[in-house]
Amino acid sequence: MEEPVVTTLGSWEADDVTVAQVEAALSDLRHHEQRAAVRTSVLTLVAVVKTDAEADAARAIIDELGGRHPSRALVIVAVDDEPDAPNGTDAAVWVRAIEREGRAVCFEQLLLRVRGKARHHLDSIVEPFALPDVPMVVWLPAGLPSPGDPLMQAANRVVVDSRAVAEAGGDVLTRSLSLARRLPVADLSWMRLEQWRSMLAGLFEGALNRPFLQAVDRVEVCGNHGPRYLLGGWLLRRLELPASRVELRPAEHVSVDVHAVSGGRRGRFRVARDGAEREIRSCVDIEGGPQLEQTVRMRQQWPSLALASALTRVGHDEIYEEALAGARELRQAEGGR
Amino acid sequence: MSDNPLAEATVERVAPPAVLVVFGASGDLTSRKLMPAVENLALRRLLPPGFSVVGVARTEMDDTSFCEHMQAAVQKAGGGGEEAKHVWDSFAGGGFRYVAGDYADPETFKKLKDVLDELDEQRGTAQNRLIYLATPPDTFPVVVQGLARCGLNKPANDDAFVRIVIEKPFGRDARSAEKLDAIVHEAFEEPQVYRIDHYLGKETVQNVLALRFANAIFEPIWNRRYVNHVQITVAEQLGVGHRGGFYESAGALRDIVQNHVLQVLALTLMEPPSTFDPNGIRDEKVKALRAVDILSPEEVAQNVVRAQYRAGWVQGTEVHSYRDEEGVDPHSQTETYVAMRLKVDNWRWAGVPFYVRTGKYLPKRVTEVAMEFNRVPHLPFAMSQAEGLDPDALVLRIQPDEGITLRFGAKVPGQAFRVRSVSMDFFYGAAFLEETPEAYERLLLDALLGDPTLFIRADEVAQAWRIVQPVLDGFEEGDLPLARYEAGTWGPPEADHLLDRDGRRWRKP
Repeated sequence: MEEPVVTTLGSWEADDVTVAQVEAALSDLRHHEQRAAVRTSVLTLVAVVKTDAEADAARAIIDELGGRHPSRALVIVAVDDEPDAPNGTDAAVWVRAIEREGRAVCFEQLLLRVRGKARHHLDSIVEPFALPDVPMVVWLPAGLPSPGDPLMQAANRVVVDSRAVAEAGGDVLTRSLSLARRLPVADLSWMRLEQWRSMLAGLFEGALNRPFLQAVDRVEVCGNHGPRYLLGGWLLRRLELPASRVELRPAEHVSVDVHAVSGGRRGRFRVARDGAEREIRSCVDIEGGPQLEQTVRMRQQWPSLALASALTRVGHDEIYEEALAGARELRQAEGGR
Repeated sequence: MSDNPLAEATVERVAPPAVLVVFGASGDLTSRKLMPAVENLALRRLLPPGFSVVGVARTEMDDTSFCEHMQAAVQKAGGGGEEAKHVWDSFAGGGFRYVAGDYADPETFKKLKDVLDELDEQRGTAQNRLIYLATPPDTFPVVVQGLARCGLNKPANDDAFVRIVIEKPFGRDARSAEKLDAIVHEAFEEPQVYRIDHYLGKETVQNVLALRFANAIFEPIWNRRYVNHVQITVAEQLGVGHRGGFYESAGALRDIVQNHVLQVLALTLMEPPSTFDPNGIRDEKVKALRAVDILSPEEVAQNVVRAQYRAGWVQGTEVHSYRDEEGVDPHSQTETYVAMRLKVDNWRWAGVPFYVRTGKYLPKRVTEVAMEFNRVPHLPFAMSQAEGLDPDALVLRIQPDEGITLRFGAKVPGQAFRVRSVSMDFFYGAAFLEETPEAYERLLLDALLGDPTLFIRADEVAQAWRIVQPVLDGFEEGDLPLARYEAGTWGPPEADHLLDRDGRRWRKP
């Protein structure tokens, strides 16, 4: 298959503009480009960042999404300036086409730098650009929304990255849980854990191994803060275990061990990244039974893939919400110990 | 007059020699809309060489200053430039005349008659007149009567024409509209009267007709069997600005619903006309409006929501409450938002609700007709596989980004079988790469050419008031509480309840 080619069909930029001027520029760019006559869209994607560097990174990721999620993308830099700075917006607009094997999909990208009090009312800036009939997804690459953020009322779904937020400190998982109760949330950290979850689940397929899930004795989850709590919380709730049977330990790489007893035999089921190699090793070790091992290359972890995966769903991710609730239970149990 | 064999098969017809007489020549409409339209028509070579303009207003001015004033106004409105210079040079040579005077003074009309006679002689305008009332509505009767007294209402011979263009609003209510019509008809025959609603001059409003009646795939599903409900939205992102004084006496129902919304509704509802001639289309529009059910006072309370904006944020700017606007009563009960649920009693639409809404300071400027179709009778997927699937919808977008959008379900690429809605969007402007004429340009040319298709006939106005009057009565009798909404939102919660009750919700256009 040919590599897709992204072409810029037209662009416009100006400082200190009104929303109406940006709308007019966008319309004008489409008006003068026949390839933009038909646009297929599945969503309006709004990324909110604080710096130009974050905006560049977000735009690069959105470009890589390419034809998979044709959307109108707005990258908003909510400039963190003086509290009484005057309102103002600088804008840049691009109409682009991604072409592959003779087919072109058109999409639009807007970069808006918002200053002053208006940055606390981004809903009023975003709504005029929202495409009709498709959901609006708000992506916060490095933060969680503050309580009462009006932008969340305009959003159909919010994409966060609990790992990136955790690096900045704060009780991310509790805040994510409270957010997920109000709005469907996709967490890119959770998306990255998908391959671990599916490999672990795969170890219990088949009549021989499945019964071990009914008699789990102990679970050990290692890894960085966010992943180990999310995986621990997921196992706690899915396997209906008491918190005392889930052990969490800090480690550089993720590993999950499930110890269980079935039919009087002990079994250990392990999925782990043991070293610097980008490989995941899974093992099944059943007392008096098979001892199996498999090593697979880790899937590519491009940010655009995690984002693409987050954008394929539209409703609540109930399993994630369960994992968040489980993670909170584990933290509370730790506090009580 | 016989047809011009050379004009046949030309794409655009040039207007016949004529004088455009504008009452209210010093007003906003003249400088912002009419004169830019005249300049554009001249630039597109659609005006004949002797075409002339006579402005009439109270303000004292001579011909030269009127011409200069208009040229400056057109430049301010985005026109002018090097290309337009020769247009204004040719107008400056006697093609722009001005008559200052009071509309109630017969002398004003005598002076106007003299100027028109001079123009016929000097510029060959052949006694053809297009009279444009760009004045406040309360002056319409006095101007019409003044014209009649001087004989300026009748064509001088069989080959000449006198037409009068009347701006909306056509009355303040059913009774005043009827009275105005009677006054107009005392002086002018109905075929001479061109009631203008500039919405009808918009290319995309006309495209509703093209989409419906030039395609075999849409019309078969354009009925109650397939359509679940229709939503018509005319949303404005601006507040009342400096028009607070005017708006206090109008409100959203009179300002937008009685004309723009009902015109769009009529084009959506109407049956296919047998011919595309003026009466073919207008007859069908009248029939369609006649089928709209009249709300009883109890039904008004249940099916209409009126509201007024509070302070809020619109497009990144903090805005005042309506009651704090210039020229507005601090306790004003005037509505800046109306939502209605209408019922249509005919074979095609029985049982299909039409939800219409309009408002100021909504999140974006958009006019659209959205038809939401019935869901499939059985969905062979698990709930989790189709969680992002909404019913199919066809949306006719009238402004901005004029075009059509089709929403339908598609499989999400990947191994899992998940279905979600996608939106396929067709943008007229980009498909044809033609500059579309502004609404006033198009309508002015049609009026000069004698094509009333896109103008509103007396019986259409009467039908529109028939629908609106009971609602207006409900407002005026205080039967309907005034809700409030935050500027920058899609209206009050009461409007959401109007659809919630039917298990539906408003679109975010």
